[in-house]
Amino acid sequence: MKKIIIIFGVLSLLIFIRPLLGFNSDAKPDKDITLVTTQEETNQEEGVMTNAFHGIQEFYNYTGFANATLGHILMILIGIIFIYLGIKFDYEPLLLIPIGAGVIIGNIPFVAGNQTGIYETGSVLNYLYFGVVKGVYPPLIFLGIGAMTDFSSLIANPKLMLLGAAAQIGVFATFLGALYLGFALPEAGAIGIIGGADGPTAIFLSSKLANGINILPDGTTVKNLIGPIAIAAYSYMALVPVIQPPIMRLLISKEDRKIRMKPPRAVTQKEKMIFPVVALLLTTFISPSALPLLGMLFFGNLLKESGRTERLADTARTKLIDIVTILLGVTVGASTQADIFITKDSMMIFGLGAISFVIATMGGLLFAKLMNLFLKGDNRINPLIGASGVSAVPDSARVVHAEGLKADPNNYLLMHAMAPNVSGVIGSAIAAGILLSFLA
Amino acid sequence: MMYLIISLVADQIGEGYVILLTGLLIVFCALLILSVFFKYGLPVMLFVYKIITKGKDKKITDIKISADKEFTGEIAAVISTAIYLHLQEKHDEESAILTIKQAIKQYSPWSSKIYGTHHRRL
Repeated sequence: MKKIIIIFGVLSLLIFIRPLLGFNSDAKPDKDITLVTTQEETNQEEGVMTNAFHGIQEFYNYTGFANATLGHILMILIGIIFIYLGIKFDYEPLLLIPIGAGVIIGNIPFVAGNQTGIYETGSVLNYLYFGVVKGVYPPLIFLGIGAMTDFSSLIANPKLMLLGAAAQIGVFATFLGALYLGFALPEAGAIGIIGGADGPTAIFLSSKLANGINILPDGTTVKNLIGPIAIAAYSYMALVPVIQPPIMRLLISKEDRKIRMKPPRAVTQKEKMIFPVVALLLTTFISPSALPLLGMLFFGNLLKESGRTERLADTARTKLIDIVTILLGVTVGASTQADIFITKDSMMIFGLGAISFVIATMGGLLFAKLMNLFLKGDNRINPLIGASGVSAVPDSARVVHAEGLKADPNNYLLMHAMAPNVSGVIGSAIAAGILLSFLA
Repeated sequence: MMYLIISLVADQIGEGYVILLTGLLIVFCALLILSVFFKYGLPVMLFVYKIITKGKDKKITDIKISADKEFTGEIAAVISTAIYLHLQEKHDEESAILTIKQAIKQYSPWSSKIYGTHHRRL
């Protein structure tokens, strides 16, 4: 409870403090231009002391102290909060700590024009950010996820796949919500995918749809929303243990929470090998735009299950994914440069993101209840596992497991919850592909 | 018919609803097809494979994808966890704290030569 108050307190504080401080999206003073002119006007005829004084003053003008705005300080504080949440509460530390550090790096005030900032062409950060803008990192992350994931619980009980589809209602509901709030179609599509609770997918889709480059039918360019969308997706994913349990308790009765599912059958290696190939063919034929994501996901899984490429699978699921996670986390964090990030749009995206997680969780839970109407006796499913249909692997499955244990200390739901969890990944990638093919 | 009417209303929100409905439908269909395949298609595939490789077993019911009813995924998980933990523990861990302390006894054969050079015996 304390955690919820802290987190939502901070979020609401941010929302309310913004208009007070008067941050407007593009109200940036042309400080850099005036600086350059003062540099040229240094009068050589003056004394050494005056020159030295000028030099110090000039140096001061280049420091962070002179250029800091309230926006920068606010964002640095957010970065510190991210790091704090990651360390103290162990909320996805592998993501929050790189992103938090990235937020700090991206919001150190500097004078533009020296190839420092992430949005300046030629800067090192800009080159690293290229992987985000062009959607290079997400498929590589998916390769690692594929090489990590064991799909056997899904193969043993294929009907649980539908729960992963049901949770995607969050994606489309948010998409609609964003349209009502006045976002253009591609922007709304990119915002909607936050409901898929899948960081790489969100970055992939927003880099294709809301990248600040594409031209809309009415002649204007789309907004660059990659930063806010990625931050919203990752921060809500980290908050899954806070967001989901109250909804579960609200929608699922005590009786239902105690339902025991029969243990899944053992799956043969042959089935595990066939799965990635067949799933790749079926899903990408239906939604070819999701090819970069699904192709890499199932390729990674094939590396794992083929039994002949253990070395490749091992690299993909350890070193490769670690490297990409580091680069992705830091650059996404750094992309939240205050003058670009602190806008009304970002706040709306954060609001929509929270709602989308709630809707996705509800969709999964209610669909699980619906499925139970048709299932008898031993085959009934514990509706709690519907909540893990929002990907967020493996956190939401863990949350389901913990909730199940609270209702019945001997009911272990983790294995069952992993099935909708991984199908949620597939589902959100398909949803991203559909949105991409409709809106790109 | 409904789709047609909606798409005639050429505003964004109308298009949004179209995408909402078709999108959800496609996602459901995709995962439904996958699950149907793994429920029914896979046993057939395994059956065909067996025919190709061996030429025996003409009945689908003869192919058991669940090799042993007693051996469930839970048991597999328990065994693999046990093996994992065992392999983790096998690795001998050293504390990484070096203990360089003064030896209690003053004379040691390891450094006996130095006593000769110093011309004194202990």
